[in-house]
Amino acid sequence: MRNIRRAFRITILLILALWLHYVLPQRDIARVTSTEVVRTDFSGLNRIFFAQTDTGNVESVARDLRFINAERKRPYLFSLVRGGNQTMVYRNEDTGWIYPPYFKFDSADLQAEAGAVISTEPPHDWVVITHYGWRIRWLSIYPNAVSIRPAPSEDFRPIPWSNIVIYVLMLAGVVFVRAMWRQFRERTLDPFADRAEDRIDHVQADLAERRGRLRRWWDGLRGK
Amino acid sequence: MNFVRLLVFGFLFLSVVYLCVSLYSRSVRREKLEAEWEETRPEGIHRDAFVKEGMKEYEASLRRRLILLVYVIPLVLVGAIIYFVN
Repeated sequence: MRNIRRAFRITILLILALWLHYVLPQRDIARVTSTEVVRTDFSGLNRIFFAQTDTGNVESVARDLRFINAERKRPYLFSLVRGGNQTMVYRNEDTGWIYPPYFKFDSADLQAEAGAVISTEPPHDWVVITHYGWRIRWLSIYPNAVSIRPAPSEDFRPIPWSNIVIYVLMLAGVVFVRAMWRQFRERTLDPFADRAEDRIDHVQADLAERRGRLRRWWDGLRGK
Repeated sequence: MNFVRLLVFGFLFLSVVYLCVSLYSRSVRREKLEAEWEETRPEGIHRDAFVKEGMKEYEASLRRRLILLVYVIPLVLVGAIIYFVN
């Protein structure tokens, strides 16, 4: 039973960690090599990894997707260690009013920005591409670029302030919910349980008393 | 349509949060009042009356109204995200 509970807990934590890794913003140092638009027919398998058509348009089964082709510094260990160069393809979609809550409406503008920083010949213009999501080739899914800004240098290391803030807020939330639950248990559940226990004690005492009387009456009948 | 859906579900979710926080805050205040009575033992004031009086004060306090920030803060946050992302 304890092992099952432990396995259950680890699974939940793992799913949570993966989800956070997917949803939270990450920053790549990259240079844009080209931009393109590809008509895409989603399958049931990879549909959830794409957002939606541009906000304000009607959603249909297949649509054109904006892509940003780039070459980036390969990130290892959550971008703590940087490796050599690696090609990377970002999609560029509105997240609009749906999940994840980036409220991005400007994918057309972002595409123009990406086009403006295309750099194919050295010296290269390196940019910081903020994105979320994963590149999984066998599912044909791509990270979604959220913003592009020029990088001061090739080995620039942005500090992930937004992620730090989000983690601190989440921790505060957990502490607060825990305090609320403690208070609820102490002030509402425990007194309730105490009262119920008290009542059960009363009933049992009453029963014992009655049984005692019955026994005395019976004994009296038998002339003891 | 997505916007309306976000509004409706966001409002429902925040209402649940608001309810939980306000119940929690009230409970903490009541506990504090009880502890205060226990410590000072004011002459001629019954414990229940003392707590009741204190809770009446709490109901009118700024602290209780501040819980409405539960609705305001996410709105401001969403506004800020929209401004900075786009």
